[in-house]
Amino acid sequence: MARGVSVIVKRRTFCLLSKLRGFHHQQSREERKEYHQPAGYTALALLASSFHSELASDLEISDGEALENLKVASSHGSLMDRSNAILQREQQQQSLNPKDWIAVDQQNAWDLLHEERSLMTRISTSCADLDDILGGGISCKQVTEIGGVPGIGKTQLGIQLAVNVQMPSYCGGLGGKAIYIDTEGSFMVERAQEIAEAYVEDISEYNRFLHKDLQACQGEIQGKDVLQNIYFFRICSYTEQIALINYLEEFISDHKDVKIVIIDSVAFHFRQGFEDMALRTRILGEMALKLVKLAKMCNLAVVLLNQVTTRYMEGSFQLSFSLGDNWSRCCTNRIILYWNGNERYAYIDKSPYLRSAAAPYSVTSRGIRNSASHCKRSKLV
Amino acid sequence: MSQIQSDPSSLRPAFMTPQKLLPDEKCSLGCPILDCCMGGGIPCNSITEIVAESGSGKTQFCLQLSLRAQLPPFLGGLSASSLYLYTEFPFPTRRLHQLSSALQSQYPQIFVNNYDPCDGVFLQSVNTADQLLDIMPQVESFLENSKTRLPVRVIVIDSMAALFRAEFDNTASDLIRRSSLFFKISGKLKEFAKRFNLVVLVTNQVMDVVDSGEGANEIRIGNLNGMYSSGRRISPALGLSWANCVNSRLFLSKDEYESGSAGGGEKGFWESTDKTKRWLLLLVFPSSTRPALPDGCTSIPVRKEENKAADRESGGSSLN
Repeated sequence: MARGVSVIVKRRTFCLLSKLRGFHHQQSREERKEYHQPAGYTALALLASSFHSELASDLEISDGEALENLKVASSHGSLMDRSNAILQREQQQQSLNPKDWIAVDQQNAWDLLHEERSLMTRISTSCADLDDILGGGISCKQVTEIGGVPGIGKTQLGIQLAVNVQMPSYCGGLGGKAIYIDTEGSFMVERAQEIAEAYVEDISEYNRFLHKDLQACQGEIQGKDVLQNIYFFRICSYTEQIALINYLEEFISDHKDVKIVIIDSVAFHFRQGFEDMALRTRILGEMALKLVKLAKMCNLAVVLLNQVTTRYMEGSFQLSFSLGDNWSRCCTNRIILYWNGNERYAYIDKSPYLRSAAAPYSVTSRGIRNSASHCKRSKLV
Repeated sequence: MSQIQSDPSSLRPAFMTPQKLLPDEKCSLGCPILDCCMGGGIPCNSITEIVAESGSGKTQFCLQLSLRAQLPPFLGGLSASSLYLYTEFPFPTRRLHQLSSALQSQYPQIFVNNYDPCDGVFLQSVNTADQLLDIMPQVESFLENSKTRLPVRVIVIDSMAALFRAEFDNTASDLIRRSSLFFKISGKLKEFAKRFNLVVLVTNQVMDVVDSGEGANEIRIGNLNGMYSSGRRISPALGLSWANCVNSRLFLSKDEYESGSAGGGEKGFWESTDKTKRWLLLLVFPSSTRPALPDGCTSIPVRKEENKAADRESGGSSLN
């Protein structure tokens, strides 16, 4: 019975949270219930502590009912204990002590599932269609590789993610910071500024929607603060790249609020005259392992942007990701960006838990957004 | 935020926040419409490529940029000399001189004491791709200890395609060698671009798209679904691996304009150029800041004196 109550509370919490998360996901709320993403236990703790009047108004129930719900939520000892335990474990993981890490590693699948459902957080791409097929966005704790032809919008997506990771928690974001590693020199400051300013506008829009205190919120975020929270590295050779990735762990332990590491692009310096391909494979493998470990230990998302190359296979030229087959085993998720007619599409090529699916997106002056023609279509319907 | 790098003894990579990075400087082309289209001109600190068929004005672009870089920043320049690596002979000295004297007469207050803007353009011929890679150390030392009047901050390579198109076979080993050279050269150029805050402008030729079946040259790169010039479907030469090496890619397209007297057909060469309209399209442009940019195009009739755009139709091409 207790389990039944908890499920109801969870559902309602989630319902509330998805209301809080904003308006553009409204039609897909039914699907999103299945993901169980950021709601979960931490939100429950939040729920128990604070806004019962908001809960009442949002769920359209009486104040008394809401209070009762909250009582159930807070008195549900085992549930709270579990959430606390997971939170503690999470903090231990963040402490980066290898001993703790080994101890924590002894989890059973049930724990892992709970942890994943409750704490696996996602970084929105600002394109609702893309978020939907990704189950809410780019997931933390995992390495995601994104590739496509030049000009498809890899760098734009990278900048967008570096900005979106900072979305405050009251908007359903992580409130973290970003590390942006530029190996190609394509990061343009004015472009980042433009995307950051559009993002600030969107946040204040959210706030207005929620009838929050506009003054207080606007005081918090500004375009330049958004840029201030992106740590930017420019890399000119592959030795620098390896050195930087070795140094990242230390850097992140000093900057614990870093929630995403973006490398744009991982391939460039490894494509210049490596005569010894076996050496290259080894170096790349080591680098990938480090990044996977970093993602797990520090609970952050690693996004690798990759170039594509043509490969001669079975009598015809085909596009494939650069750096070879061995590299393709290193990344947990892989997203391919491609042109379909005049629209840009993203396709999930490889993922352990997501269905492969494609979604259109567009690159606008405000950043990555839903595809324009797609919007029109949904408006017509 | 920058306290971390305060310890100079540690060789840790220094990070920046974009707030601290200055927006990249731009070098104006001297045409308000083109500059506006590109957010101020050709950006520093990255490689910009111009793709066009012959006779579209690539070289004009390069010559003009290398001259205008000498203007002070308030006139859109960089107060810098330029290094011009040319691969197609002969170098158009007369044209450079023409443009130079036009610039001189346009800004007499800048070019005082009979200073000729040509003096700020350093020429070097390059014959093969390997030679280009070989002279990179020389280029580096030239950039480092330039004894020139103005520091060198522009490198033009006109054209990249000419170096690579003749020499390499279509065999696997040659293609691998070629793409490895691409990455080496562009790695070097990008390093220089960052260290010395350079504008790097390279030109590329085009090839016709022959079959509409699936071929390597069918891969779409950039904002345009199909690139057309002189009524033919074309695609940039040097393929996908080179496309990965550049930061921005511009496309110059031209079309013969059918005038009322088109039946007359055979006019003199100079007259027929008046009937050519050229426009610029941004294929890949990471710093694009304008909403209209993805398909934004504008025309640049190449006149005898200088590139100047005549913009008579909104957002589209127009005549000279």
